[in-house]
Amino acid sequence: MNSPQDNLYLPYMATIQEVVTETPAIKTFRVRLNDPAAMDNFQFEPGQVGQLSVFGAGESTFVINSPPTRKEYLQFSVMKVGELTGKLHSLRAGDQIGVRAPLGNAFPYRQMQGKDIVFIGGGIGMAPLRTLLLYMLDNRGDYGKITLLYGARSPADMAFSYELPQWLERDDMHTVLTVDNPADEWPHRVGLIPNILKEMNPSPQNAVAVTCGPPIMIKFTIQALHELGFADEQIITTLEKRMKCGVGICGRCNIGTEYVCQDGPVFSYAQLKKLPNEL
Amino acid sequence: MPQLESLKDAIAKALPELDVVIAWGRGLDALGATPLFITKPEDLDDMILGPSCVHNLATYLPGLRDRKVGIVVKGCDSRSVIELLQEGLADRDNLTVFGFACSGVVNVPRLRGAADRHPVQSMEHDSGQVRLQTDTGPVALPEAEALAAKCLTCTEPEALICDHFAGPHGTAERAAASGNPQGTLERLEAMDFESRFRFWEQEMSRCLRCYACRSACPLCVCQDHCAAQSRNPHWVTQEDTPREKLMFQAIHALHLAGRCTECGECERACPMDIPVLALKQALNREIHRLFDYRAGTDPQATPPLFHFKETEENIKERDW
Amino acid sequence: MATTLFIQRGDIAAWLADTAATHTVYAPLRDKTGVHFHRLCAQDAAAQTQALELDRQAQTPPKNVLLPACETLLEFSYAKQEDGSTSLDVQPVMPQGAVLLFGPRPCDARAFTVFDRVYDAGRGKDPYYTARRAATVVASVVCTRPEQSCFCTAVGGAPDDTEGSDILFTPVQDGFIVRPLTQAGEAVLRHPLFTEAAHREEEAADVCAAARAAVPCAPADFTAAPEPVAALFDDMEFWQSVTAKCLSCGACTYLCPTCYCFNITDESNGLEGRRLRTWDNCMSFQFTLEGSGHNPRPTKAHRYRNRIGHKFSYYPRIHDGALSCVGCGRCISSCPVTMDIRRIVHSAMQRAQCATPEQAHE
Repeated sequence: MNSPQDNLYLPYMATIQEVVTETPAIKTFRVRLNDPAAMDNFQFEPGQVGQLSVFGAGESTFVINSPPTRKEYLQFSVMKVGELTGKLHSLRAGDQIGVRAPLGNAFPYRQMQGKDIVFIGGGIGMAPLRTLLLYMLDNRGDYGKITLLYGARSPADMAFSYELPQWLERDDMHTVLTVDNPADEWPHRVGLIPNILKEMNPSPQNAVAVTCGPPIMIKFTIQALHELGFADEQIITTLEKRMKCGVGICGRCNIGTEYVCQDGPVFSYAQLKKLPNEL
Repeated sequence: MPQLESLKDAIAKALPELDVVIAWGRGLDALGATPLFITKPEDLDDMILGPSCVHNLATYLPGLRDRKVGIVVKGCDSRSVIELLQEGLADRDNLTVFGFACSGVVNVPRLRGAADRHPVQSMEHDSGQVRLQTDTGPVALPEAEALAAKCLTCTEPEALICDHFAGPHGTAERAAASGNPQGTLERLEAMDFESRFRFWEQEMSRCLRCYACRSACPLCVCQDHCAAQSRNPHWVTQEDTPREKLMFQAIHALHLAGRCTECGECERACPMDIPVLALKQALNREIHRLFDYRAGTDPQATPPLFHFKETEENIKERDW
Repeated sequence: MATTLFIQRGDIAAWLADTAATHTVYAPLRDKTGVHFHRLCAQDAAAQTQALELDRQAQTPPKNVLLPACETLLEFSYAKQEDGSTSLDVQPVMPQGAVLLFGPRPCDARAFTVFDRVYDAGRGKDPYYTARRAATVVASVVCTRPEQSCFCTAVGGAPDDTEGSDILFTPVQDGFIVRPLTQAGEAVLRHPLFTEAAHREEEAADVCAAARAAVPCAPADFTAAPEPVAALFDDMEFWQSVTAKCLSCGACTYLCPTCYCFNITDESNGLEGRRLRTWDNCMSFQFTLEGSGHNPRPTKAHRYRNRIGHKFSYYPRIHDGALSCVGCGRCISSCPVTMDIRRIVHSAMQRAQCATPEQAHE
C-alpha cells in the first residue's frame, strides 16, 4: 500500500518546474513526478483531471491541461479562490506537491475524429479545452476544421495569453478572441461569447462543440449552439464539482446516479439533460 | 382535553391569516411526539398536547423569518421566543404565539427504558406520577424520575409572551420541588478539577460530532458557518479527540452565554446522551451573577454581551 | 463448511476473552446511556462482558469497526535541508491486526455489503477499508426483539439475514446455535466451548421464523422505491413539506449503519501533519459548497432529497437494486424530531404513482 498504484489516496510526489502568472487570479503550474519511471509511464487522456495536494492545506481538483502528446511536464492552471488554491499560489519552482491523477473520464476524442470541432471557452474554462485543442493540433490529420472562440471579462483575465498569438497565426485553426467590454489596445472582438458565437455562425454539419467556462456562460452558449442547429449529442462540456476522494467513493460529487469524478467531469449535453437538475 | 380543544379553536381562527402554525403531533407512539406544521384546517386533527410535547418549536422561527408563523409554546419555549425577539432574529409582527398551562414534559429516553422499549399506547401525568400503558402492561414512575430535569425546577410554566392562551391561568400541575435528583452542574461542582476533566474526557469520547446539539438550539445563529468546521480561522481540527470536541462545546457555550434560555434541546437532541447543557448553565450563572440577567424574560431587554457599559454594576475593575 | 455448533450463554464471555488474546474484540455492552459497541481489553474482558447485551439492538451501529469516524490516511512531514530547500516525506498509515466484531444485528452486518460494493469495487479498491474488511470476522446475532422503528424486511433484509456476516448466532433458551458462514468465521469458532449441534438446526430455524414474524409491518416494500423517488426529483413542494421539521443536524447520518460519505482534510502542527479521513454528512450545508460560493444543494429540502435519493434510488440503480438502507430504524429513533424515513419514502412512492393517471393506487 506504499505506492500510488496500490493506494488510491497516496499521491505521486512531484516537483514544480515552473510557475506562470496568467492573470491576477490564475497561475499555471508545470510539474514533473519525482519518480522518473512514474513520469515516463504516466498515461492520461485529454480531459482527465488530477487532485493536487499541498500537504497541510489539502487537495483540490484541476484538469491536466497539457496534452498527453507533450509530456515534458504536467500542467495545471489554478484560480485562487480559497485555502488550498491560496497556498498553491504561494509555491515556487522547486517546491514539492502531491499529484493524484489521472482521475475522471476523458473527452470523447476518438469519436470526434473526422469532425469539425468548435471550441468555446470562457476565462479559466480555457484550461480543459487547451488539453484537447493541443492534442488535436498534434494529431491534426485526424480532425476537420478547428475553430476556437475564447472570451474573458477583460484582456487581463485571459489565460494562456502568451499562446494566443501563436493560435491566431496558425492557418490550421480559426481563432477568435473576445472581451466583454471595450479595452484599450484590444484589436480583437468585443462582445459576450454567445453573441460572438452566433455571429461566427459555425455549421453544425458533422461538427462537435466543446465548451467550458462559468456556469452562466455555459448556459447561454448552449442556448446559442441550439439556435445554430447543434444537437444535444454534439455539445460537450466539463463540469466542476466539489470533490474529495476523486474515485467515486466519498459520496459527495454525485448528480443523481452519476459521480462527476468517475462518470465525468466530461459530459455531453444529451447526458446532462437526463440527469436530475442539480448542477 | 379542554386545553387542546381551546388551542385548536384559537389556531383554526387564526390560520387563514397565517402561513403555518407549528404545534405537536403524535410521533412513533404515545410517548414520542413530533413537530407538526399546520397549514390547512384538517391538519389540526393531528395535533396533540401533553407530557410528550418535549420539542422547543422556537428553533424553527429564524428559518421562517419572513413568513406569518403561529407557534405553540410551553413556558420554557416562550423564553426562547423572547430571546429571539430581543436579538431581532424574529419579528413580533409576523408571530402569533399560542400558550397553555404546561404541567411538565417527560424525559423520553428514561421512559423508553422504563417501558423496556415496548410501544407505549398511552401516557398520563397527574398526582405526582407518570403512568404508561405498554403492550406488556402498565408502568408508573414518580414525577421526579419521569419528568425532564428542567420541569422539576420550573418557575414559568406558562408562556411569558402570548397572543392566545388556552387557560385558565395558574392551573398547571407543578412538580413537587422536593426530592429532585442532582443535576449535572451540581455533580460537577462537587468534583475537583481533575475529576471534572476526566468527566468531560469520558463524555466527549462518545461524541460523534453530529452537531445535533447545534442544530436543535433556537439561539445558535452560526449554524452553517460554524467555527467547528472553519479552516480559516482554524479553531478546531477534524480529529476525533475529546480535546477538539470539548473545544467546540466551549465555543458553543461561549456563543450562548447570556443568550441560552436552558430549554435543554441540545441535551435532548444528543444521540449519545451527553449532558452538554451543563456547560451553558454554568456560563448562564456567571452572566446572572455579573449582570443580574436571565435570557428571554423581557422582550425589551438587551442581552448584556450585546452592549457595552463604561461602568458595570457588578464588575469593579478598579477594586482589583 | 463446518457443522452447526452450540455455545452456552454463560460461556460467551470466556470465548470472547480468549479470542481477545489474538484479536481486537468488539461487543455490545450496556453502559450508563444504553447499548453500544465497546472494545474489549484482554485483561478486563471478564468484567466488561458482565454488561454484554445481545437481546437488544445497539443504539449505535458498529460502523466504526470498518469505517472509523476518524482515521489517518497519510502522515507527512516537512524538513528544512542544509541547502535551504524543503524536503517532504509522505507515508501511508495502514490498519493492522485481526478483529472480531461480535453481536451486530443482521441489519448492521448487511450494511457492510453496502460499503463493499463501493469501497471494494473494480475501479477503486479502498486499501484502508479492504484491509480492515479482510481482517474482521463478523459474528452476528439473530434479532428476536425488533424496535418499533425497525423495517429490515421492507428493504430486502431479515432478522436472520446472513449477508455480510461470517457467523450467525441464533439465540435459544440455553445459549446460541452457531452457524459458520465463511472460512474466516470457522477459524474463530475453533474453541472448546463450542459443541456440535446439527440436531438443533430446526430449533434455530423456528427462532428465525418467529423473529421474521415479529418485525413491525412497514407501509410498503421499499425495494420498489428507486423509480418513484427519481420521478419526484423536481417536486420541491414535496421535499419542502416532508423536511419542514428537519433540523438538518446529522444524527441520522452518523447513526446510520449504511451512511459512508467522508471528508478528507489535512491537519498539521508545525512541520508535521496528517491527512485524515472523517465521517461527513450530506445534510450539512458545506457538503457540496464549491470554492466559487455556489452550492447545488442550498437548503435542507435539497439535501434531504439527496439523502433519500441516494439510499433509495441512486445506489440501487447503480448496484442492481440493492438499497443503501438496511431498515435498522436508528435514524427514526435518534432523530430529535422523529423524522420517519418509512413514512417519507412511502409518501414519495404514493405521490409518484398519483402523478401517472393510468396507475391505480390502493
